[in-house]
Amino acid sequence: MAPAHPEQLAKIVDFLTRERRDLSLDDVMVLAERMAETLDETVARVDGLLHDEFKAIVGEIAALRREIGAVRPGHMRFEKIPEAGRELDAVVEATEVATNAIMEASESIMAADATDPDAYKALVDDKVMVIFEACSFQDITGQRIRKVVRTLDWIDVRLASLVKSLKIVEDDGEAHEETEEERRMREQILHGPQHVGEGVSQDFVDDVFSTNDQADIDALFR
Amino acid sequence: MALDLSMPVLVVDDYKTMIRIIRNLLKQLGFDDVDEASDGTEALGKMKERRYGLVISDWNMEPMTGYELLKHVRADSGLTKTPFIMVTAESKTENVIAAKKAGVNNYIVKPFNAQTLKGKIEAVFSD
Repeated sequence: MAPAHPEQLAKIVDFLTRERRDLSLDDVMVLAERMAETLDETVARVDGLLHDEFKAIVGEIAALRREIGAVRPGHMRFEKIPEAGRELDAVVEATEVATNAIMEASESIMAADATDPDAYKALVDDKVMVIFEACSFQDITGQRIRKVVRTLDWIDVRLASLVKSLKIVEDDGEAHEETEEERRMREQILHGPQHVGEGVSQDFVDDVFSTNDQADIDALFR
Repeated sequence: MALDLSMPVLVVDDYKTMIRIIRNLLKQLGFDDVDEASDGTEALGKMKERRYGLVISDWNMEPMTGYELLKHVRADSGLTKTPFIMVTAESKTENVIAAKKAGVNNYIVKPFNAQTLKGKIEAVFSD
């Protein structure tokens, strides 16, 4: 039987109250049962909708937890990133040690007394070997840098997945508050080294400095 | 302005190895009196204590950049005529133009060689 609406039940109660003065206890019980059934189904219907909604929300939260768990924030913060920093510090240190060794050897050659050809050749041979040995730093630093690149790739993949899960839409036109570091970089025109072919050449710079005529400088940019 | 090999030269760079390289190149060119500073602030302090015949400065340093140092030098009546060469990896057009507008005498893009350094120093003193 289809459940009665509360409004309909109210009308029945009203009718029975007005027209059926001889209303028996059984009638009242039947009516009460019908009303209870109606309420049960109404509550069950609303409860079902709420249940589905909450289930969906719980599902989203669980998925989010899985994504955040996959990023492994603690692992990233306390292991991956510090390790990458240590690798880069080691690269800088190894480069400095090698450069110093090469420069010391070169300076020794430049300062050497060439009046005794045999002694001079022995010294040059010895120092050239030092330079060869020092150049081997590139093998180790190359491996260290590849480890850092792998870490960056690892972070990139996980963050991209998280952004996708959170359905974050990047708004490039969104106003971005400039940080202190960004302000300094803008004001001091700090770009850092350019890649091969990206920056201007020394010849271009020489052209700029070969004239003080603004029209000539402007012509370089046409 | 004549090139005087006995004049003191101030090399400003936060990378010790680069200072050493430039110092060696200058030595090869005949300059013996070479002083050094690791950023613009230290350089400015040294320039106020001693008159340098030439400043060779990197751009990207902390806390004071070479660009800021250049502007301080040009704004100081006692230092404004000091020849100033920028030696930097900052090779964007806007850097070159900004440095020229700020009054730099010449600009060398890293990496460079001894011949380039020699040529720029000679160009500054032949103007």
